[in-house]
Amino acid sequence: MPENLLCSKSHEYLSDNGDNTFTIGLTDYAVEQLGDIVFLELPEAGAEFKKGETFATVESVKAASEIYMPISGKIIEVNNTAVETPEILNEDSFEKGWLVKIDPTGDIEAEQADLLEYEDYKEELE
Amino acid sequence: MTKETFLHDKHIALGAKMVDFAGWEMPVQYTSIIEEHKTVRENVGLFDVSHMGEVFVSGKESVEFLNKIVPQDISKLNYEKAVYCQLTNKNGGLIDDLIIYKLGILEYLVICNASRIDEDLNWMVRNSKGFDVKIDNQSHNYSLLAVQGPKADELMRELGLSTHQESFTIKPDKIAGIRVLVSRTGYTGEDGYEILVENNYSEYLWDKILEEGQSFGIKPIGLGARDTLRLEAALHLYGNDLDENTTPVEAGLSWSIPKDKKEYYNGKEVIEEQLKNGGEKKLVGLKMLDKSIARHEYEVYYKGEKAGVVTSGAPSPILGANIALAYVKNNKEICTGTIVQVMIREKLHDAEVVKKPFIQKRNKVKL
Repeated sequence: MPENLLCSKSHEYLSDNGDNTFTIGLTDYAVEQLGDIVFLELPEAGAEFKKGETFATVESVKAASEIYMPISGKIIEVNNTAVETPEILNEDSFEKGWLVKIDPTGDIEAEQADLLEYEDYKEELE
Repeated sequence: MTKETFLHDKHIALGAKMVDFAGWEMPVQYTSIIEEHKTVRENVGLFDVSHMGEVFVSGKESVEFLNKIVPQDISKLNYEKAVYCQLTNKNGGLIDDLIIYKLGILEYLVICNASRIDEDLNWMVRNSKGFDVKIDNQSHNYSLLAVQGPKADELMRELGLSTHQESFTIKPDKIAGIRVLVSRTGYTGEDGYEILVENNYSEYLWDKILEEGQSFGIKPIGLGARDTLRLEAALHLYGNDLDENTTPVEAGLSWSIPKDKKEYYNGKEVIEEQLKNGGEKKLVGLKMLDKSIARHEYEVYYKGEKAGVVTSGAPSPILGANIALAYVKNNKEICTGTIVQVMIREKLHDAEVVKKPFIQKRNKVKL
């Protein structure tokens, strides 16, 4: 599990890469709730999204779910391995199964205000 | 308040993920939908389907009564046989789909969908006026277990099944020492049995089947896999593929309707007309030509125009492709091999119209 991890109430995580870029993915809880993940649709590099906007779609056997931006940003890298083999998210959604890397485009501090530390996020689920 | 089956604690103990289904808290999966699905296709699976409704119909005019409410001819149903039926309204629309079993002289069992039990009962009681018939809802007293898969028969023999049964028959028997009704029916496209048992014995029976089933590779199966299994077999799900604005002919169920039934039944004029000329829409199977998945209520397009709607869609674990059922306009041009498009997140994705069922069914067992 990466350090400096923040989680949204809609179950995305935001991980600070320490070089002014961030990695976004789905939390282990989200992946467990979804069950067998069979399809992933990610945006193209260069696309920009505001905090809270839908930027991707994940599908389990049962249903399609939207994935939201935890903060505003421009997509700089997409995990194509996850698109080709979405089942890797079920094994590990942090190291192998991350979704996109972004350059933040908003007020990072203000936009992170409603995100939770991983421990607090876990507690909130109980 | 959601309802619980008598097997609720068993599901929790097995680590099932529980969801609300038609007002019942039911297991959607125990481990993985794909894994559970393959277990039923390759070995054998155990389902708790106790949420389904059991209505006993008896009395001097039970045949006449049943013949009024379904297009099938119940007078031709023999002792210990079952028939797939539909409960139709005056316009030929589907109130529910059912299996009717003949248990004895003037004694029938109707198994209906959990989501439709109130509507069904209401309709049956309304239609029973003037008939000497007793309608007895016993849903609360019975649990229903399904044992499905190529190894189901062998397992049931180990558990004490004493008679050989054809598909669509029902017999009283003793399974693991418990008196039950055993029918060779199911909702997976595989051979298998459904066991009607008094609630008090359901937990014991559940445990015994899982215990004896170990050597057959048995697994408990949730509603998630039940849905993908029935979809591969192109079996309809009420509420998705069937509703009150759809007739049995439109739903592709003409095979189940006798052409020579003399008695009147609800919706007969509409259904007989459609048997000759077809309905306004028809149910087709679709196979997606890319990795996208068509889902319930997604729109279908043909030659750039809206031509229908998807009613069920999911990945097929056996075919490794994404499949769907969809209603399209009853247009001769849309047939097996035709390429249509499904609108998914504002983009059109190609799909091929394919034959139903999507897999080879193996549930027709003759003696």
